[in-house]
Amino acid sequence: MDGACLELAGKIPADGPPLAEGDEGVLIRRAQGGDRTAFDSLVRRYDQEVLRLALRVVRSEDEAADLFQDAFLKVYRSLDRFRFESRFSTWLYRVVMNVCFDHLRRQKTRNEVQAPEGDPGEPEYFHRVADDRPAQDPEQTLRAKEIGRRLKGALTRLTPRERMVFELKHYEGLRLRAIGELCGTSEETAKNCLFRATQKLRLELGDLV
Amino acid sequence: MPLEFHVLRGIMDCDAVKENLALYVYDELPRSERDAADEHLAGCERCRLALGEARRMQELMSAGPALGPTPELLVRCRQHLEDSLDREQLGWTGLIRKWLPGFALTQPFRAAAALTLVALGFSLGWIVRPRTIKDGIGPRNIVGSSVAGTDLGGAQISDITQVSPDPQTGQVKITLNAARQVTLEGSLDDPHIQQVLLYAVRSYDNPGIRLDTLDALRSGSSNPTVQAALLYAMRHDQNAGVRVAALNSVPRMPWCEEVRGALVDAAQHDDNLGVRDEAIDQLVAHAVAAGDQSLVPVLENLAANDSDRYVRMKSARALRRLGQEP
Repeated sequence: MDGACLELAGKIPADGPPLAEGDEGVLIRRAQGGDRTAFDSLVRRYDQEVLRLALRVVRSEDEAADLFQDAFLKVYRSLDRFRFESRFSTWLYRVVMNVCFDHLRRQKTRNEVQAPEGDPGEPEYFHRVADDRPAQDPEQTLRAKEIGRRLKGALTRLTPRERMVFELKHYEGLRLRAIGELCGTSEETAKNCLFRATQKLRLELGDLV
Repeated sequence: MPLEFHVLRGIMDCDAVKENLALYVYDELPRSERDAADEHLAGCERCRLALGEARRMQELMSAGPALGPTPELLVRCRQHLEDSLDREQLGWTGLIRKWLPGFALTQPFRAAAALTLVALGFSLGWIVRPRTIKDGIGPRNIVGSSVAGTDLGGAQISDITQVSPDPQTGQVKITLNAARQVTLEGSLDDPHIQQVLLYAVRSYDNPGIRLDTLDALRSGSSNPTVQAALLYAMRHDQNAGVRVAALNSVPRMPWCEEVRGALVDAAQHDDNLGVRDEAIDQLVAHAVAAGDQSLVPVLENLAANDSDRYVRMKSARALRRLGQEP
């Protein structure tokens, strides 16, 4: 059932070659028994990918750092409930997704979503990210910044679920079935979310095309 | 129903194609529906235009700068997580035990702690008692002096080593270590300042203080003693953030075999990706600035054999920057 979910997990193990499932199983059992070193090893396998995902969702380093921390603490506290019924990576990313979801929902509820322009004087996250791709001329750089600014604004106006589905589909390249599993919903709902998200983004950004 | 298909006998109409363009461009349509859409698109220019627009939109949304965590952010997150897990795992008492190895509530320790508390109570009483004699401020050796009239001069008791009541005379002799807060101010050339900073960077257990100390020492990186301390921090400091800060001092150091060795070691073997990343940056910066080709084999080795994909890619990029094909 969750093989497709592993597209994300299988992308980049942080250090070294991917662990054989048996090896990971041993680590998980040791971590469940309170072995901190084993837990740290598990964290190192996935932490870069988790942080990248969090950053992708919130587009702010500080918030991403908070999500990273919340997600792994949640994993640590509930690891004994992992029963090997799904792959560990799937279970882990579900936890991460839930933390991201909760964060986006809270943002919406508190109406604290940043305005697209950002606070005056505060540098845009997009503008601070080093872009080391070759052949960036000033015009291209400026356009990329403008697109980044507009896109960030447009994304904040999606519902949390639409936002997550879009991010996972467009940027992570996951299949909708896998996205449905990660987000705890059906493939059909994920399809509808993607449809609505692209419609809204087209309305917001159509003039840039 | 936005995703309802208007497919009749394998043919899609314009509405169905438009409703499914998102799934089409993201390659999420089932084979049969994709074929039906292709068939319609082949004969409908309006829908082809709409498809072109959807593809441009897809490209547009990928056009922003790449988002990825910087090594510094990763280091920061790992560090915070480690601290939180320590708290989670050990609790506060556990943390105290971890910070103070050997601190165990054994029976003799409890007795000593009780005695110390009593002695501290006495000492506090002496400190806050009405003053009749003004003492000068300065380090003093309390051992062997008469308690009466003794003032600790703002010093804090850090350790009580002996409390000896004399039943004959009713006197108590307390042997203790007292510490006073001292502020030193001066330039980096001042030997006292230098001595304290060098002590702090090597031995002080608070990484925040070690980080500040490195900042202070950075301007003196050309001084051999300071340089040795920075290299020590680069190689041996337990905190990755401190090691990165030490690496940041490299541009101010005179290049020599020790500096090169420390950088290469960090790039190849440090267990923290952020530190390795910074070390590679410093190696490349030096190679570019000094035209030093001797670093090429190091980078080639990293690009070809390192177990970390990020390090391999970064080293390969660095080689291209140096005009070498990885």
